[in-house]
Amino acid sequence: MVSGQKRAAVIGCGAVKVGRYPERQESELALMAIRDALKDARISKKQIEGLFTTPDLQGNIGLQTNLLCEYLRISPRSMAEICCGAIAGGLTLKYAADEIRAGRIRIAVCYGAAREASINWFKSVTQDHGWSMIEPTALQPYAAYGIIWAYALSARRYMHETGATEEDFALAAVRNRRNAAESPVAAFTKPITVADVISSRSLASPIKLLDSAASLDGAAAIVVASEEVARDLSPHPVYLLGWGLHHDNSCVIPTDDYRKSISHFTATREAAKNAFGAVGVKPGDVDVAEIYAPFSSHELIIPEDIGWFEDGEMVKAIRGGETEIGGKIPINTDGGLTSRGHPWPATPLYETINIVRQLRGEAGPNQVKNAKIGLMHCEGGMMNNGLVMIFGRD
Amino acid sequence: MTSRPNYLKPTNLDSPGVKKFWEGLREGKFLAPRCVDCGELFFPPRTHCPECLGEDLAWEELSGEGTLYSWTELFFVQPEFDAPLLLGLVDLADGAGRILTRISGGTETGLHIGMPVTIRISTHKDGMALYYAEPLRAK
Repeated sequence: MVSGQKRAAVIGCGAVKVGRYPERQESELALMAIRDALKDARISKKQIEGLFTTPDLQGNIGLQTNLLCEYLRISPRSMAEICCGAIAGGLTLKYAADEIRAGRIRIAVCYGAAREASINWFKSVTQDHGWSMIEPTALQPYAAYGIIWAYALSARRYMHETGATEEDFALAAVRNRRNAAESPVAAFTKPITVADVISSRSLASPIKLLDSAASLDGAAAIVVASEEVARDLSPHPVYLLGWGLHHDNSCVIPTDDYRKSISHFTATREAAKNAFGAVGVKPGDVDVAEIYAPFSSHELIIPEDIGWFEDGEMVKAIRGGETEIGGKIPINTDGGLTSRGHPWPATPLYETINIVRQLRGEAGPNQVKNAKIGLMHCEGGMMNNGLVMIFGRD
Repeated sequence: MTSRPNYLKPTNLDSPGVKKFWEGLREGKFLAPRCVDCGELFFPPRTHCPECLGEDLAWEELSGEGTLYSWTELFFVQPEFDAPLLLGLVDLADGAGRILTRISGGTETGLHIGMPVTIRISTHKDGMALYYAEPLRAK
């Protein structure tokens, strides 16, 4: 899919620590992340030819990139605000790579900024807009108040099919928290135990507070360049080797077809298969991975869908530490969604940045030894659209 | 900002895709559309057949029989319902699809995946006819 001459590379990363920024605008958080990314890439703002971003949660009218062009005093020749549920952050990178491969631009900035906590975004969409968040014409009076119920139903079904326990889910939350202690951007770094997770309050059984990703503020930005420019400018370009995308035709949970699974997800499986096929590598070739699991239950489900484990094998794998740093496939070495915090429009870019850090060998105590191939997964709806991107270095 | 919507009084009750469904509930019937052109029975109701995209639909009363596919005890609950809300996914025996519904009984005790349930209809306290699933719990 990606020819040798036209690969795109990530050459710069910048991100603010996930948390609460009530005194800042989203565009100001974006500026902070972009400034750091430019510095990391060792380029001038004048070199930005493309600017791509994610949905604006503050309800403005699609003028985010216009505003950032003014903030930055730049005049790019390609720009877009890209929406597609929570894979939007990953799609900004795809868009930039497509523009670069088409020869229209050489250097782009992709960013996502959100202040979910400070503007109380989730309360706004779930309580003020009611069931229309899911589907305005569906008759789902019970399908309101966010989307945690969908993940909970999925988690329960996975337990039924595999024998996984709530303690197994908790192990993933504990692993993420341990990794977060060494993350430069994670919001939650205080160590937790399985007992802490189990005794935290139930939100939607079997999901508890410490199994869950907090909706927080954040901003992340990457500088993407053509291979030629990357080789010229960067001591450590990280190439986007290929990607896979898939949608399984359900909006949130598959209601239209009772044969569809919610313990495993077609979109993740097909996206991963497409990505591995495009790049010509196998799941076992991946050295380090970031997966988009808003709840700890899906830390078990997603690795099976991507192909590192057979269905149900993650139960044994999480108990055996196979997804820890040093294990078979280190996952979410930055704390994952549950401990890094989850400003969703920016989350896939935070994930990408951690993969870049790992492939550059800059992950400090959390470094996966000699990591050469990294994978980033993100999803939208409830695992109904999936995006898997595979990265590599020289 | 407009005031918060009432979950049980959505603005789309009269939309052509679902009006007949809600009317059916008020008459005690649990209805689903079947496509006259291609024969597809589907749920949830919409203005069009998701298989052939046709708009010529007839309504059939479903048996209401189903099996419990999964459930959760939800603590974030819209004000029209009491917390915690027992929510389940039910596979409808008629093959129409899967429905997200409240499960009666108020407790997880005795629930198990695969157990038979029946879709029932009740009138909510503010007058709206709503469906729910009644599990056939072991005595």
